[in-house]
Amino acid sequence: MSTARRPRRFGLHARVIVAFAVGAALVSAVLAVSTFYFVRRALVDQQVQSVLRQTYSDARLVKLELGAPTAHIGDAVASVAPANDALAFIHSGGTWYSSSASVSGTTIPATFAKAVRGGSAAEQRVTLDGTPTLVVGVPIPSLGIQYFEEHPLGELASTLQVLATVLTTVAIATTLGGVLVGWAVSRRLVRPLNEVVVAATDIAGGTLDRRLPADPDLQPLVESFNHMVGALQERIERDARFAADVTHELRSPITTIGASIELLDSQAGSLPPEASLAVRTLRFEVDRFSRMVQGLLEIAGMDAGAAAEHFTELPLVALVQATAAGRKHPVPVGVEPGTEEAVIRGDKLRLHQVLVNLLDNADTYGGGVVGIEVEREGPNAAVSVDDAGPGVPPEERDRIFERFYRGAASGRRGGTTGTGLGLALVAEHVRLHGGTVRVGDRPGGGARITVVLPVVSQLPAVRQ
Amino acid sequence: MSSTEQTGRRVLFIEDDDHMRSVLAVSLRQEGFHVIEAGSGEEGLRKLAEHGADMVLVDLRLPGMDGFAVTRAIRRDTDVPIAMVTASSDTYDVVAGLEAGADDYVVKPVVAKELCARIRAMLRRVSGPSANAAVQRFGTVEIHREAGVVRRDGEEVPLTVTQFRVLCELAATPGWVISRAQLLERVWGYDFFGDDRLVDFHISGLRAKIERDASNPELIVTVRGLGYKLVPPT
Repeated sequence: MSTARRPRRFGLHARVIVAFAVGAALVSAVLAVSTFYFVRRALVDQQVQSVLRQTYSDARLVKLELGAPTAHIGDAVASVAPANDALAFIHSGGTWYSSSASVSGTTIPATFAKAVRGGSAAEQRVTLDGTPTLVVGVPIPSLGIQYFEEHPLGELASTLQVLATVLTTVAIATTLGGVLVGWAVSRRLVRPLNEVVVAATDIAGGTLDRRLPADPDLQPLVESFNHMVGALQERIERDARFAADVTHELRSPITTIGASIELLDSQAGSLPPEASLAVRTLRFEVDRFSRMVQGLLEIAGMDAGAAAEHFTELPLVALVQATAAGRKHPVPVGVEPGTEEAVIRGDKLRLHQVLVNLLDNADTYGGGVVGIEVEREGPNAAVSVDDAGPGVPPEERDRIFERFYRGAASGRRGGTTGTGLGLALVAEHVRLHGGTVRVGDRPGGGARITVVLPVVSQLPAVRQ
Repeated sequence: MSSTEQTGRRVLFIEDDDHMRSVLAVSLRQEGFHVIEAGSGEEGLRKLAEHGADMVLVDLRLPGMDGFAVTRAIRRDTDVPIAMVTASSDTYDVVAGLEAGADDYVVKPVVAKELCARIRAMLRRVSGPSANAAVQRFGTVEIHREAGVVRRDGEEVPLTVTQFRVLCELAATPGWVISRAQLLERVWGYDFFGDDRLVDFHISGLRAKIERDASNPELIVTVRGLGYKLVPPT
């Protein structure tokens, strides 16, 4: 399958936060706008009603006052003096009378005045000198005049301004709250996913029997994840079993071939030179093949997870020295003071194999073993095998632990005795022991492969 | 150790793979052993009864009566050393084989030289300082080293050859701790990298036969992290 999807630009975390923020912003904006709209309408209605009431009552007052024969229109309009900065006007026979000396009647819009002169009361909202104003006109036909009032709505406007400010602030705060809630929710949301991540990492690390715990909310995810891992485990185990079966079956024929060649070889003196060469070559290759099968079987057996069952406490230095003593050529072992008593936990035979493989590797590819160093490294012990070769270039340092990898410099097969599995086995064995392995440079040239293993305790005083 | 000492010692080799058996038998004969070949467990038991043997080499995977059953059958009647041939040192096979009564094991692919070394180690006579008294007493247990006999409360205890050798190694230095590695070397001829399970299995087999209470041993005690020791008579 090659359905490579374009990666999303934003992660789940960011998307949840944005969703919550946008949601909160929308809800609060709708609430704010509708609140503003309804409040404004209610306030304006209220204001208009009260202005109308006041204007009608003022008009009645003017009508009463002008009913007296001595009355004068200018006095009447001045006596009304409506509250709250309102102005009163009377239009009579083309002349405007105002309640304020500083204002003439021209501020009443002409079309409005004309409509009122037509005989019906009216009100209109206009803007005078930048101030929203409600103009109300009442005709008084019995006197042939029209009475007008101008009520500035500045107070209402500033009230609405405050309301708008408050609502905007609340909307912004709500949006920010949405961001916070989104952040918290996405964290909670991602938490079970973190469990998936941890499980996946474990599985990638080789713990194939790792499963996700049941979670009612994540049922489908948990089920399909566990199902996938189960299928994967089954498949890996089947492959490993097959490899193990194959190599297992190879052991008997290898025994037979090896023993036959050994018999032939013991008679090599009486064979013609060509046959003798053929037997030697055969013996060499069968030996290599045998070790390769051995290595493959070890790798296959490793995934069985039964390794830790054979773990015992082992004196590290004794193990290193016993391995060195088993070599054809003497191998110097350097022990840093303080590490002599280090006890590690592991499988004696596997750790022996690790050291043997490192020594074989140094002999085969590294120009020969220079020595083994045992040192302290924090809470761990480091065992380094030094060789006399050209060293390992940095770009090859990870790859040399791959199966069947041979360095570019040693690519030729002829003459090598290696199986291509030695260092891969080292890496696997060391991993099973909770340790690490790395390649570096030996001071003075050559490669140094270092295996670091956790030290579990110090040896008690040994009585041999 | 010289091979002349073992020349003519009879090795019963039970293996169903004819090619492997015959070619390994040739190698063993070249080393001076008298090899009796058997192609099945039943044939092996019959030949053992007919000819006897100084040691038995038995493949665990045999058609019909398998190696475990053969080992158990042999163990019922004799204390002859038995080495099993197994395809893997890791699995169930080794443990089950030791439980059945095997003394040692070799792992395929078998190399003739190694096999000879194993057989020689198993045929080696009981070693240990002969300066010790011919009879050693540990509580109610008596070890008659020369006669190869162990008695408990006067009764002869039927030990296998390997169990007897382990006991003699411990008895050679009573009160001293002997490590597993030392026992592996002295009894089985292994170096540092022998299989500790061999020691532990034979110690527990030994305890079952000579201790009053094998789960609470008083004679052969474990010294944690170091090995075993035989408690000297007080």
